[in-house]
Amino acid sequence: MIHSLFLINSSGDIFLEKHWKSVVSRSVCDYFFEAQERATEPENVPPVIPTPHHYLISVLRHRIYFVAVIQSEVPPLFVIEFLHRVVDTFQDYFGVCTEAAIKDNVVVVYELLEEMLDNGFPLATESNILKELIKPPTILRTMVNTITGSTNVGEQLPTGQLSVVPWRRTGVKYTNNEAYFDVVEEIDAIIDKSGSTITAEIQGVIDACVKLTGMPDLTLSFMNPRLLDDVSFHPCVRFKRWEAERILSFIPPDGNFRLLSYHVSSQNLVAIPVYVKHNISFREGSSQGRFDLTLGPKQTMGKSVEAVLVSSQLPRGVLTANLNPSQGTYTFDPVTKMLTWDVGKINPQKLPSLKGTMSLQAGASKPDENPTINIQLKIQQMAISGLKVNRLDMYGEKYKPFKGIKYMTKAGKFQVRT
Amino acid sequence: MPYLGSEDTERELRRALCNPHIQSDPLRYRNTVLKVLRAMSQGVDVSGLFSEMVKACATVDIVQKKLVYVFLCSYAALNPELSLLVINTLRKDCQDPNPMVRSLALRNMTNLRLSSLVEYVEQPLTAGLRDRAACVRRVAVLGWAKIHNLQPNSETDAAVVNELYTLLRDPDPVVMVNCLRALEEILKEEGGVAINKPITHHLLNRLKECDVWGQCEVLRVLQRYRPQTEDELFDILSLLDASLVSPHPPVMAATLSLFLGLCSALPAVGLAALERVRAPLLTACGSPSREMRLTALCHIQLLLRSLPGLMGAHYKRFFCGYAEPAYIKQRKMQVLVELVNDDNVAMILDELRGYCTDVNTDTAQAAISAIGGIGRSYSDRCLEILTGLLGLKQEHITSAVVQTMRDLVWVCPQCSDTVCEALEGCEDTLQDSQGRQALLWLLAVYGERVSSAPYTLEVFIDGVRSETSVGVKMELLTTTMRLFLCRPAETQDMLGRLLHYCIEEETDMCVRDQGHLYYRLLHRGIEETQKVLQGRRSDPSLGVLIGRPAEPVSQWACSFNTLDPLKQGPVETEPPSRGSPEHVTFDPKPNTDLSETLDCSQIVKLHSASDRASGCSDSSAEGLASSVAPPLSLSLTPVLSPEEFERLWLQRQDLHTEQDAEKREEEEDCACLVEHIRGPAIAHCSPQSLQAAMQLVNIQTLAFTPPHTLPWRVYLFTHTQHTHSGNAPHSTLIVGELLYTGEANRRVRLVKTGSDDGVLVEGSEEEHVREGGDPTPAGLRESARENGEEEEVKVTLKQQPRDDSALKGFLSILTTVLHTLSSERA
Repeated sequence: MIHSLFLINSSGDIFLEKHWKSVVSRSVCDYFFEAQERATEPENVPPVIPTPHHYLISVLRHRIYFVAVIQSEVPPLFVIEFLHRVVDTFQDYFGVCTEAAIKDNVVVVYELLEEMLDNGFPLATESNILKELIKPPTILRTMVNTITGSTNVGEQLPTGQLSVVPWRRTGVKYTNNEAYFDVVEEIDAIIDKSGSTITAEIQGVIDACVKLTGMPDLTLSFMNPRLLDDVSFHPCVRFKRWEAERILSFIPPDGNFRLLSYHVSSQNLVAIPVYVKHNISFREGSSQGRFDLTLGPKQTMGKSVEAVLVSSQLPRGVLTANLNPSQGTYTFDPVTKMLTWDVGKINPQKLPSLKGTMSLQAGASKPDENPTINIQLKIQQMAISGLKVNRLDMYGEKYKPFKGIKYMTKAGKFQVRT
Repeated sequence: MPYLGSEDTERELRRALCNPHIQSDPLRYRNTVLKVLRAMSQGVDVSGLFSEMVKACATVDIVQKKLVYVFLCSYAALNPELSLLVINTLRKDCQDPNPMVRSLALRNMTNLRLSSLVEYVEQPLTAGLRDRAACVRRVAVLGWAKIHNLQPNSETDAAVVNELYTLLRDPDPVVMVNCLRALEEILKEEGGVAINKPITHHLLNRLKECDVWGQCEVLRVLQRYRPQTEDELFDILSLLDASLVSPHPPVMAATLSLFLGLCSALPAVGLAALERVRAPLLTACGSPSREMRLTALCHIQLLLRSLPGLMGAHYKRFFCGYAEPAYIKQRKMQVLVELVNDDNVAMILDELRGYCTDVNTDTAQAAISAIGGIGRSYSDRCLEILTGLLGLKQEHITSAVVQTMRDLVWVCPQCSDTVCEALEGCEDTLQDSQGRQALLWLLAVYGERVSSAPYTLEVFIDGVRSETSVGVKMELLTTTMRLFLCRPAETQDMLGRLLHYCIEEETDMCVRDQGHLYYRLLHRGIEETQKVLQGRRSDPSLGVLIGRPAEPVSQWACSFNTLDPLKQGPVETEPPSRGSPEHVTFDPKPNTDLSETLDCSQIVKLHSASDRASGCSDSSAEGLASSVAPPLSLSLTPVLSPEEFERLWLQRQDLHTEQDAEKREEEEDCACLVEHIRGPAIAHCSPQSLQAAMQLVNIQTLAFTPPHTLPWRVYLFTHTQHTHSGNAPHSTLIVGELLYTGEANRRVRLVKTGSDDGVLVEGSEEEHVREGGDPTPAGLRESARENGEEEEVKVTLKQQPRDDSALKGFLSILTTVLHTLSSERA
């Protein structure tokens, strides 16, 4: 199915290759490089490139192209999903998935790829099982290994593969039993010129970190489960129970895992946490433009909006921007024309603003489009959809676990048109 | 990129590997092996270290073993003899008490991929199939597939194949899926693993145990299974229902693909399945991964071909984000064009207008041509936007706008006034050859209405020497010729200059020949020239069909969940760089492959003539048919593609216009019939139920206008099979059109003179003539006339070869179906 995998960085170097069937020559990547050259931006490289004898299916993440070489017809979604799984695994193992991290851990990478695919077919992709086969490198372990000469490989057979519950190994022991759940929501929204919402949707996930002894059976219930319309669960969740009672009942995997991801698309449910007042204008015939931006909190249920970062791609004709922020700092890159304003926290009493002038190239005509403003932000202790966990119970074990839940809202693809 | 000092590196590494001090220290030994691998991954050729690495393989350290195996597997092909040394160690590892070591050894043994080693590998593999540990069995099963790949020609042991079939029932789901994969490869020549009823049901029951990848695999293999009874089919479908809305897009897509395959005989179920996957597909469109979004979009495009209304309410999901890559934006725009309806057209156009000024020129041009696409149904609003864009005086935008206008005017001639106004003054901004060609074409067709046309042409002709594009020169010639015909005084001089240049100085053969052609044509006199050059204007009759007709699911079901929908670049579907419409008339695309637009009076004459003829024979045939009435059966095969249908339909129409005697014979060979069937509210029933009803009696509907639009049309076809007593079975092809204008029939007849709709005029006129000419097939029509106020559906049928009794039989079947449908509605 998947013949080979090439890892290519944005400057076009193949820095890792792995072949599962016969060896495919590197020259097959020339077709990819051609496409890369043609694309103006790195993300514009088409994901599927047909070549005379192969297909190249690539995903771009963390500025690395993961290029899979396919020899026969395959379902494209399958390959794409698998490549993303590979990247997720790397990220899980090394914390970051950069070229440097992969090069530093090249051996673990080879081991992982070897376990994940056999003869081109996915073999073990579940992070828990992989972690038992190959221990992730940590600074401590690297040090211990250097001193004692022990290895990163699990010495015994991963028990998970034989236990009744495939995602949990038997005989887990912890001194502190704890279960943490993070509800993280991202708002993707497009706001138009006048401030009304064009589209808005919420992508949410519940990530769990469960460190419990034995075989605990957990149930998690929500105050408002009807909110979730598009839900995707970790395989451990008993789907029947969810359908009948809207309760999450599951035997959790050990360690970190994503319990569920969901999607709220009905627009009336999506609250927009900030508003933007903007006045960006260029006058015909003059080489000056006005820039005036004010941010304010909108529907935040009393929580403060933090870590706000505003960025905007100004028109090509803009030479410099002379602006004055009421708080935070701003930078303007004259080459890429990217304006970034690091606002920080929004104080509702004193709204942050960025005012000033832009100077245009002499003789350039008035730019025909206004820039779009991208906003990143964080709100702690609130899930913007209003999702709330009601209670968490544990059955099957005697001890009392420590339970914790955290809410967080972030801006995903949040943009305001001007 | 091989290092310059690769030999030095290799020598140094070899020294280290052979150093007994290093060999005695496991840690340093492993680190040296690690260095070798690092060098290998950087592209340094370290194949020379093979024998040293073979030695390093004999160790207890699993990590070192793994590393050495990685090395050996990459270089084994270069050193087949030395690889033999490794086999011993590997075989010993296959006996190891630790299952992980066993599976590792087995896997690498098969990964060496040396056909010389096959005999040593087979025995441990056979043992591996019966190993206690599932992970060893998983590897062993796939190992057989690898061995088969090594020796594709040799017969695989039947015992092994049998064993693999037994392992399909292994308790471990991964072993089961791997067995499927292995058998697929080994039995490729026999068409893959045999899928019979017990295996199918076994696989379906265990589907839930498999991981995502396994489920996809199983679903893919099951596509070959054909259930024997309908009950079984529905059992399977209900088992699959849960995975149809699976949160994993690959599983969802694989299930839908299987669903469509199974329901090929039940289009209604297939359509219901499409409705079910709407939510998961939309979620995939919002997935954080761009590649996933693109794939989902491409598949949505496929779905929309059959259910244009599927995503109508969700059009906002297809609005582009600022930072999205160009390929996604372009796909989204294509989807948006499909989703336009009265309610959202304003929003969508606003949105698209925003994309027209995108930094990426390709995206901007795609947005403009998307607006053009919407313009076919909402021309006024779109033209307003397009003319507005001309005001920006941006090179690439103007070019795209002019090209779009050209394409639009071809389908909607009513826009020509606005276009002509807009054309003034945009020649200065046009730089690229495509845009200029489009401008020239427009000037050629509407030259008499653009006052500045001769001046624009003059500029072009003055600059013809420095012109590089052949296409522009050819277009320029044609335009000047055409303009000369309508505005001779202003153009004569420049036409002379241009022809002189083309014939005397031009080096390109095509242009020169065309110049010669026109020159000789002018010699034949102005009338002759006019006949040749001014024949064709656009033909709007196909613009009646709003949007693309819904295709049956089977048209694209086989390419669902494959790479096919992704392959066609976004440019291909709406090529911005295509020549003038006239240059592509051979292209079987709907809006270009048209007969000449006909002068109305001419049709009438011809039709009355031809129809009287066919009408007469009709009457005699009818008498015959009623007395004999031989059994008639309809069938759908061979299937007629929409292109073929269109060709046939238009060809039939053409024939009427040809006066040549030899064509008459051909016409004898086909029959044409127009009838009215009373059926209130047929036009209001859903396309699905109509299609289902038609299919019950083996009539295939090819295209509909959406319900509640006027005029409402349905195109359909069938084959009649007809056994005359004593004769061989006789089959004919019938193509037909149902037309419902929404008014009582009388009104239609009033409209006819003013209407530019060719088909409509032809139909009612024809009918008119027949009424006067022959009264025979009067029964039905007479009653229709009496109930003139009631709603009627006009049926136009064309048959080939001619067989009147079959046609009559077909008509009565069709009438019954329509009556049943409308009575159900009531």
